[in-house]
Amino acid sequence: MKECIAMLLAGGQGSRLYALTQRLAKPAVPFGGKYRIIDFPLSNCVNSGIDTVGILTQYQPLVLNEYIGNGQPWDLDRLYGGVHVLPPYQTATGSNWYKGTANAIYQNINFIDRYNPGYVVVLSGDHIYKMDYSKMLDFHKENGADCTIAVMEVPWEEASRFGIMTADENNVVTKFEEKPREPQSNLASMGIYIFTWEKLRKFLIEDEANPASDNDFGKNIIPNMLASNEKMVAYPFEGYWKDVGTIESLWEANMDLLNPNMALDVWGEDWKIYSRNSGKPGQWIGENASIDNSMVTEGCRVEGKLVQSVLFAGVKVGEGAVVEDSIVMPGAVIEPGAVVKYSIIAENAVIKSGAVVGERPEDMEDISNWGVAVVGEGIVIGKNAKVGPKAMVVKDVKEGEEQW
Amino acid sequence: MVKSNNDALGIIFPNAHDTLVPELVTTRTMASVPFAGRYRMIDFVLSSMANSGISNVSIVVKQNYHSLMDHLGTGREWDLSRKRGGLNLVPPYAEANVKMYRGRVEALATVVEYLKAQKEEYVIMSDSNIAFNFNFRELIEAHVSSNADVTVMYVKRPIPEGLKDDNFTLKVKDGRVVELLTNDYRPGVQNLSMNIYIIQRESLITMIQDASIRGIAYFERDILGRNLELLNVQAFEYTGYTAWISDRKSFFNENMRLLDVDNLDALFNGKLPVYTKVHDNAPTRYAMDSHVKNSMVADGCLIEGEVENCVLFRGVKVRKGAKVKNCVLMQNTVVEAGAQVEYVMTDKNVKITTDKKISGTDTFPVYVAKGHTV
Repeated sequence: MKECIAMLLAGGQGSRLYALTQRLAKPAVPFGGKYRIIDFPLSNCVNSGIDTVGILTQYQPLVLNEYIGNGQPWDLDRLYGGVHVLPPYQTATGSNWYKGTANAIYQNINFIDRYNPGYVVVLSGDHIYKMDYSKMLDFHKENGADCTIAVMEVPWEEASRFGIMTADENNVVTKFEEKPREPQSNLASMGIYIFTWEKLRKFLIEDEANPASDNDFGKNIIPNMLASNEKMVAYPFEGYWKDVGTIESLWEANMDLLNPNMALDVWGEDWKIYSRNSGKPGQWIGENASIDNSMVTEGCRVEGKLVQSVLFAGVKVGEGAVVEDSIVMPGAVIEPGAVVKYSIIAENAVIKSGAVVGERPEDMEDISNWGVAVVGEGIVIGKNAKVGPKAMVVKDVKEGEEQW
Repeated sequence: MVKSNNDALGIIFPNAHDTLVPELVTTRTMASVPFAGRYRMIDFVLSSMANSGISNVSIVVKQNYHSLMDHLGTGREWDLSRKRGGLNLVPPYAEANVKMYRGRVEALATVVEYLKAQKEEYVIMSDSNIAFNFNFRELIEAHVSSNADVTVMYVKRPIPEGLKDDNFTLKVKDGRVVELLTNDYRPGVQNLSMNIYIIQRESLITMIQDASIRGIAYFERDILGRNLELLNVQAFEYTGYTAWISDRKSFFNENMRLLDVDNLDALFNGKLPVYTKVHDNAPTRYAMDSHVKNSMVADGCLIEGEVENCVLFRGVKVRKGAKVKNCVLMQNTVVEAGAQVEYVMTDKNVKITTDKKISGTDTFPVYVAKGHTV
């Protein structure tokens, strides 16, 4: 028996990350120099003392499966428990894809029952934050709650983008609205739930029996529990948290790592973020390199200029190349003389000499056309080619051509 | 022919050549001497073995092996945590009739019973004072096709200064070793033995047992050197990159030599990765106004000052206004604000306090021992 296990929803396609998620699930998207997004919730679990995690996968699971492996990098290779990747499976009565977040958990009730847990933490695989779930569990128990939802205050003008909770002075949730047009509170759900398993189990079964349901936590399970007067409390969280489901937010969250005034940091020894190691030798910085406010990791070769950027393992930046305000993912090559600004360059992409990718917003005539440029996995941008700001490149750009 | 690529087992001697670098091994073995920013010396031979399909490796330790045990763990990082074979640490027995090993024969005597129980056809033996990256299958194939009794790996190079009392050179005729010289002093390029041998497991067992009863301690000098007419000892020239740790100065120089990208590429060729213990360090952070030139930097460092021609190991901090030039700084060294260090090598956990100035010279770099605060 386990007191508390975690279920991590990692099946989403991440369609808003388009060029980055052509061949990998959103939680497997590289983040912060040597991590993938899923390292954050997984490390949070381990650091919080949760040693049993089910990862629900559905969309493009290959990279994610290989990355998780036996869970050893997160100390989740356990005799009893540990990490388990849970794709949809066939049963005697048929087979179904995961229809929604709640259905994904429903289809794995047997998995959870094997551990007979008192509590289940339900997590998303696309959030960057550091959080001690054991404190949240204490809060859940102290309040005698059936469901505890982590919330944080968001600016009022952004509240309509979130699931908004209204809570009384005792943190008891009185109202929940998914993306309300006129929000009555600015407490946003962070997509982190702790349920008393017995209760959640009952609601999952009821929800499944309702053919009209979307089988979704936000749309169905939470409102149903609230309507049934179950005790639901909001757990106020202070600290860094970001949903990195869009290109802009993914880019911003990486940049936040470089901002000393932001509360996101991966350097602390007391709450380590674990990841699978690249096994590459130290980074090599050349004679004429210049690096300003950046993060660089194993296997990188920097001979050009780096300003406010995050380089992942094995990235090469050639002599005279300029990389500014950008994220360059594992194995990508920025050839000598290429210029990359405000861009995300995906794994193993090649930017040939003289090519220009992205642009500074200050240099735009019409700022409304500005955005972060994205070059997809393995894409080659030919010599002297140009990729405009906000472009999403999923096909090679030939020498001298332009893509907007 | 070789029956399968698993058909050799490895034996590594981590304490061999400890005496060459007394300062570096006060609390460690030669095998656990840090090298190239994020590695220990043993990582190179061990990764080479693992990459060659050798999945049964014994590490015959003698003393000071705490740090080595900590580094190796169960051998998982080298893919050597196995039910069959895997990594096997062999400490000396505390028996009255087994003294601290003098020569290799005595060390091997402790593993004779183990060797008898193994199934591999061949044994590859190596020390751990040379960093190299090699597919041992080439050696196995050369050994098998030449019908040799023993094949020894060597390189053509001058004898390093530090090895003048700790070397074997070979006189080679048509690939066969016709003379084995101990502590050769001649200048210029020699056939310098890497002390890496391949031999049939069963003949090794017989050799050790025969040598033991005659009180012979030294494998090279007494077993090989005296029987070159009887034994077919073949020489295998290794032409890849090697870094030899033969004294403190060579430790400094060999680290520095990796600042040349050609050397770095030669040692870390990408096809044969070098594995090491994972520390889960975050990426290295270069602060605003930091200046870094011609350096190799491991993960988990924080650089706020100036760094030029340096090898920085994991977790090194160079604070604002500090200047570090021509240095090898080992794990978790901190250079505080305004300090200036040149031609210095620091061991682990050294702290250079604010505004201190330390400088050695090109030919005599200063060494700061583990845990010291300057």
